[in-house]
Amino acid sequence: MMQWIAFLFFASMTLLSALGVVLLPNIIYVILSLLSTLVMVAGIFFVAGAELVGALQLLIYAVAIAVFYILVLTAVPWEKALKKDSHYRVEGVLTFPILLAFYLEIILVFLLGISVSPKGQIREFIQSLGNTQVVGSILFSKYFFAFELVSLVLLVGMIGAVIIGRKEDKTYEDSSP
Amino acid sequence: MKIVPLEAYLILSLLLFGLGVFGMIVRRNLVAVLMSTELALNAVNVAFVGADSHLGLVDGQIFALFIIALAAVEAAVGLGIIVAIFRLRKVESSDELTDMGG
Repeated sequence: MMQWIAFLFFASMTLLSALGVVLLPNIIYVILSLLSTLVMVAGIFFVAGAELVGALQLLIYAVAIAVFYILVLTAVPWEKALKKDSHYRVEGVLTFPILLAFYLEIILVFLLGISVSPKGQIREFIQSLGNTQVVGSILFSKYFFAFELVSLVLLVGMIGAVIIGRKEDKTYEDSSP
Repeated sequence: MKIVPLEAYLILSLLLFGLGVFGMIVRRNLVAVLMSTELALNAVNVAFVGADSHLGLVDGQIFALFIIALAAVEAAVGLGIIVAIFRLRKVESSDELTDMGG
């Protein structure tokens, strides 16, 4: 019962904050709503018993990525964006039911797969060890190659971000005829 | 241990993903579009972790960790592209990018 109350609180706060991300006009309020959404999703992870993912959600998402967004917001002057008359593309609303129907289909397929799949073979193993130990042992044995690939993707993304964000030496103006 | 059913996690994930895609389409500001992308990625994470607590596995949590790492890469590259667009073209809205300034 306590778990239900916590889940309902975190879920309703997540949806409210996500509505704020989608609908608020001022970009500073939008990033505050995004921060609230990330913290509440971490609470949902804690309710579901995934302590490691929840802690990393707080550490990486709610600290690193949010600070990164704020840094970019301070680097780019947004005065022109703030005095624009409309912040929303209203005709985009028309595509929303189609996307929702597609995602409902995905959920239906997922529920079918859940109903025929076996469950709970290693639950005793997990409860005897604790979440972080099980995730670590499976991450570094079964998914070790994927883990190394993710680190490679991080390296490539870092180099790409540095090269894209580098200051050019007026090559675009000079090369035009 | 397993009081919250799987359907609750899936409904929350559905609503969060729908809001993320909605924001990606509707917002004009490029940084707000990236933040809506983060909402959609979080929805996928919620679905993974909810399925894990239903099945008693941890594989979905590992994939959630991968998604968090890839979201960091996506934010870095996307914000770099936005800063570069703003420096070169002096626009920050997604409709002003449609014309080619030859």
